[in-house]
Amino acid sequence: MSHHLPALLFLLPFLTAISLPMVGLKHREWCRPMAIAAVSAMSVASIVNVVVIMDSGEIRYAFSGWAPPIGIEWVDDGLASVIMVTLSLLALISLINAGPTSSSALGQRIVPYYTLILLLIAAVTGIVFAGDLFNVFVFLEVAALSGYALVGVAGGKALVSAFRYLILGTLGASLYLLGVGYFYAATGTLNMADLAQRVPELMTSKAIVGGLIFMFLGLGIKMALMPLHGWLPDAYTHAPDAISPFLASLVTKVALIAWIRIMFWVVGAGAEIEHVPVLFLLVELGALAAVVGAFLALTQHEVKRMFAYGGISHIGLILIGVGIGNPTGFAGGVFYLINDAVMQAALFFLAGAAMYQYGVRTIEDLGRLRGQAPWMTGALIIMAMSMVGFPPTGGFFGKWYIILGALEAQNYLAVAAVIISTVLTLAYFIKLFERIFRDTQPSSGIIPVEAPLSMKVSIGVVSAAIILLGLFSDPIVGFLLDTALPSGL
Amino acid sequence: MLELIEVWLHRPNFIAFVILFLWGFYIMVTHHNLVKKLIGMYIVQTSVIFFLVAISAKTGATVPILLSGTGPVQAATYTNPLPHVLTLTAIVVQIATLGVSLALVAAIYRKYGTLDEDEILKRLE
Repeated sequence: MSHHLPALLFLLPFLTAISLPMVGLKHREWCRPMAIAAVSAMSVASIVNVVVIMDSGEIRYAFSGWAPPIGIEWVDDGLASVIMVTLSLLALISLINAGPTSSSALGQRIVPYYTLILLLIAAVTGIVFAGDLFNVFVFLEVAALSGYALVGVAGGKALVSAFRYLILGTLGASLYLLGVGYFYAATGTLNMADLAQRVPELMTSKAIVGGLIFMFLGLGIKMALMPLHGWLPDAYTHAPDAISPFLASLVTKVALIAWIRIMFWVVGAGAEIEHVPVLFLLVELGALAAVVGAFLALTQHEVKRMFAYGGISHIGLILIGVGIGNPTGFAGGVFYLINDAVMQAALFFLAGAAMYQYGVRTIEDLGRLRGQAPWMTGALIIMAMSMVGFPPTGGFFGKWYIILGALEAQNYLAVAAVIISTVLTLAYFIKLFERIFRDTQPSSGIIPVEAPLSMKVSIGVVSAAIILLGLFSDPIVGFLLDTALPSGL
Repeated sequence: MLELIEVWLHRPNFIAFVILFLWGFYIMVTHHNLVKKLIGMYIVQTSVIFFLVAISAKTGATVPILLSGTGPVQAATYTNPLPHVLTLTAIVVQIATLGVSLALVAAIYRKYGTLDEDEILKRLE
């Protein structure tokens, strides 16, 4: 039974997504409980999955019993299982957060709304487990299509942002598919394990190098790597407040996971293009994204947009971590990815709640929180500590392992990039807190709306999770080092 | 250089792919009309699908259905079905994307009354 877990994890949200429109025809109010039930079951299954992986090693699931490389294979190993727990729990909390505020605004459209959210979660599962390049493409597109529609739900400005996201996202997907075509033309297979045996000796082939570059460009657009991030700030800023956490914590991270899979499990960590190590290029690009992303965040005036740029800078940090090319750096990068998913969800929950209660849109508006919302300010302090990297939060330990790995590899450029981006992150959070604590303007006469319980609970849970990730960083990184490392490191 | 061009001319499919891809990309980047941008996007996607079909082309081969159960399979006499299956899936993805994008464009048109990007950006201010 336990070897069916990957398929079960996918089918829970997927089948619920398909049945929602039918159930929703008669009982619209059932959508939310059904979605929450499905994702709760998925979270439980993903925790069981980690335990099974710890006990008996990785699961390779061949669909319909067709043995790979002919059949489609899903790989459920240490990396996939840990990421799956993070993503499914975050999806559950985001779903709880997404509730009451959206149901009144959406009316009739509540059924497709929950269907799209569940499809997004199912597609994310597919990307994490996929052991086949083409499968990754299909699920990337399913996730992206639900993402476009969900961004557009808000109407108005969000429509234009969603359109831009769609144009760029589709270009990314086309480039990725082109890269897959190159790989297939050069090797005659799409299965990752099968490719891993053939690609390393073909690294001199122009088709493989070209395919790798196209795939990286495509996934780079999807993960909003620094020069290719154009769609992200607008989409996250204008998306409904309940949707931004989903996009921020799930979509860009899984594109990065897909790239980590291709980089370390297909091409191999030691791959070189014309004697230039690919990992070296990744670190450089990551360093650029980490510093420039944080700098751009500093220049923003809207709260959500600032957090979106913060996320762009963190994608760079994760790339630095995994790109350093030693086990410490890799585990640190993956651990930081988990932290970043939690932090991004937390920040957008907070931005959503601040908007709902106090109408906070720009950083100037944050002055309204002064003396009004001690709990919200406290949660923001915890998130800021983690974003900047103060102990004992998860963000600190993520950066700690990344820097340790970089020092081990004597890559001082990476160390400098992490430190500069940390300083810039500190700077933009100081900008936020200055508004809250030191603003001299009298607080405006806005009467706050009482936030629904689900919003408070979700902010509380993620804030606690940030601290817990810090406190339990040792066993998590230990688990990653034991089970989630690619073979070449 | 001449040799390179000669090699290229032996592969007209790939030249067609490059032209289509760049053409679509150019339309996407330069045109201000949202529907024209979509047309460019559609051409880019189609060019990639065309590429997948082009790499699977094989002369003197037949459909991949085994005619008799006996004897070893002569792979050279059958076309490879896999790229075609990929193509079908990619077309489905393409159509879904087009559907979503047209819905978005229609919603934008209803909201702003225009399809010109500059005009819309001006109204967003």
